[in-house]
Amino acid sequence: MTADGDSVLLAFANVSKWYGQVSALMDVTLACGAEVVGLVGRNGAGKSTLMKLACGLLTPSQGAVTVCGLSPARPAARALLGFCPELERLYERVSGRQFVAWMLRLHGRSGRAAWARAGEVLEQLGLGQHMHRRIGEYSKGMRQRVRLAQALAHGPRVVLLDEPMTGLDPVARHEMAEHIHALARTGVGVLVSSHVLHELEAMVDRVALIHQGRLLAEGTVHELRGQLRGQPHRLRLRSVAPRELAAALLGFEQVASVGVTADAIEVGVTGEPGFYGALTALAAEPRGLVDEVVPLDDSLASVFGYLVG
Amino acid sequence: MYYLRSTFAVAQQTFLLLLRNRLLWLLLLAELACLAIGVVAGTFAPPREDGRALYVQLGYWLFCFVLAPWVSMFFAIQVVHGDIEDRTFQYLFLRPVRRSALLLGKWLAVAALCGAALALGVALLFVAITLPGSRWIGTPEWQLVPVFAGTTAAAAVAYTAIATWFAARFRRPLVWAAMFLVGLQHAIAFLPAQASLRVITVADPVRRILYRSLDLEPRLARDLWPTEREWRPELVGQPELNLLLIVVISLALGLWVYCRSEYDSRPRE
Repeated sequence: MTADGDSVLLAFANVSKWYGQVSALMDVTLACGAEVVGLVGRNGAGKSTLMKLACGLLTPSQGAVTVCGLSPARPAARALLGFCPELERLYERVSGRQFVAWMLRLHGRSGRAAWARAGEVLEQLGLGQHMHRRIGEYSKGMRQRVRLAQALAHGPRVVLLDEPMTGLDPVARHEMAEHIHALARTGVGVLVSSHVLHELEAMVDRVALIHQGRLLAEGTVHELRGQLRGQPHRLRLRSVAPRELAAALLGFEQVASVGVTADAIEVGVTGEPGFYGALTALAAEPRGLVDEVVPLDDSLASVFGYLVG
Repeated sequence: MYYLRSTFAVAQQTFLLLLRNRLLWLLLLAELACLAIGVVAGTFAPPREDGRALYVQLGYWLFCFVLAPWVSMFFAIQVVHGDIEDRTFQYLFLRPVRRSALLLGKWLAVAALCGAALALGVALLFVAITLPGSRWIGTPEWQLVPVFAGTTAAAAVAYTAIATWFAARFRRPLVWAAMFLVGLQHAIAFLPAQASLRVITVADPVRRILYRSLDLEPRLARDLWPTEREWRPELVGQPELNLLLIVVISLALGLWVYCRSEYDSRPRE
């Protein structure tokens, strides 16, 4: 599923980026509407480059990036963008509220309005008690909230979050995921990257997998998994007679391994065609050997692992 | 109008950040050291050095020639290059403000702070020289103070403009600033008058502004320009124009680089 043409908030059209001889991104085409799109890839895969292209910090070597139809090089487009970089440094000698208010002033707000709005956003992000302390005294989680606050305070249409979970405790991670979900509900497009794949999986509508500068796949986790029928994967089969089922499965040429537990077996499947047809036939037999089939690898981490080897 | 408003917002923010910078203590210490030299000179200098000669020499050599260039360039590089180095520039570049407004705002703030601090320092030097006892022939020449304060502030503005360009362009701007001050300025600014290359320095036009404003006697004129043996008033030329050109060209080069650079992906020198 991709964002409709009318509702596209952020679009990359055949975007490539080279640093001298090094290619950071190759021919990436991706669109994001009012939804949460997760960006998955290893370190150096090109995730941050993609985000910096989206907010105009970098210029594409080829192709085009648009934010609500505008080039991010234009100030009008940057007014619609919020970016929470992975960057550790902030303005250490000012308070969280002052920092956010300063950034808001550069969006054209008056000093008083910026100050009030900064307080409001920091309060919403749970930093109300500490917003007057110097940023240099903040914990990692508090700094992350300040970074998020400066990205959200001006009411952007598109929000780019580079590793927003970094440094957050489990409660804060949960709250952050809620914030991100809430943004999409208000019509904001969110592009979020994270290494914590199971958390990303829980908060995104779609995923884009990037590897070595190329967009390998995009879609829901389930859709992506569906594209991987030909890949090796694992299943858990629940059965009243697991040993009998295991013996039957060992006769399948597509079965690479079988492990038996009290009421189920775990099967490693090579991915060669024919397995699911044979399994359906086995389940239909009057012996009733198969009660339930649960894919064990239907997670983002597994999909990612399969795709990048 | 929005451009001007954002430029002044950046200038205000940079100014407030500068006021929280611990390195300001260094500036204070440097100025105190210069004032201490003023007190010592006012107390122990030979009697032929009257208050005017002492103030002109110390004002020029300590403030216009040493403190103004080093302090102004150091702080301008801190302000412009500091956030490129630690990457906090990203927060500013994301705003709907032109990069030229960001750079001009930063330059305005650092030029104002350095100009004001140095002008105050050179004014206090007058007090430091005058305090130990009467070195003045007649009454102290207070009219020297605004001349020196204005000239030192103008020097600070020019040095910050050059440093702004270096900070936007180079990965190691402090090294370039040191090369400019020691390698270029110190070597060229003191060439005799016929070497028109002098005008690409700041020290030379600053000295010529002082010459014109103070109407210096030959001995004092030679003290400020040792290689020029036959000082004549027509050698002054147009120092304000020279200084203005340095500021405009440096800022234009700085803006050109700052507005076009992808600081995340700059190749190493």
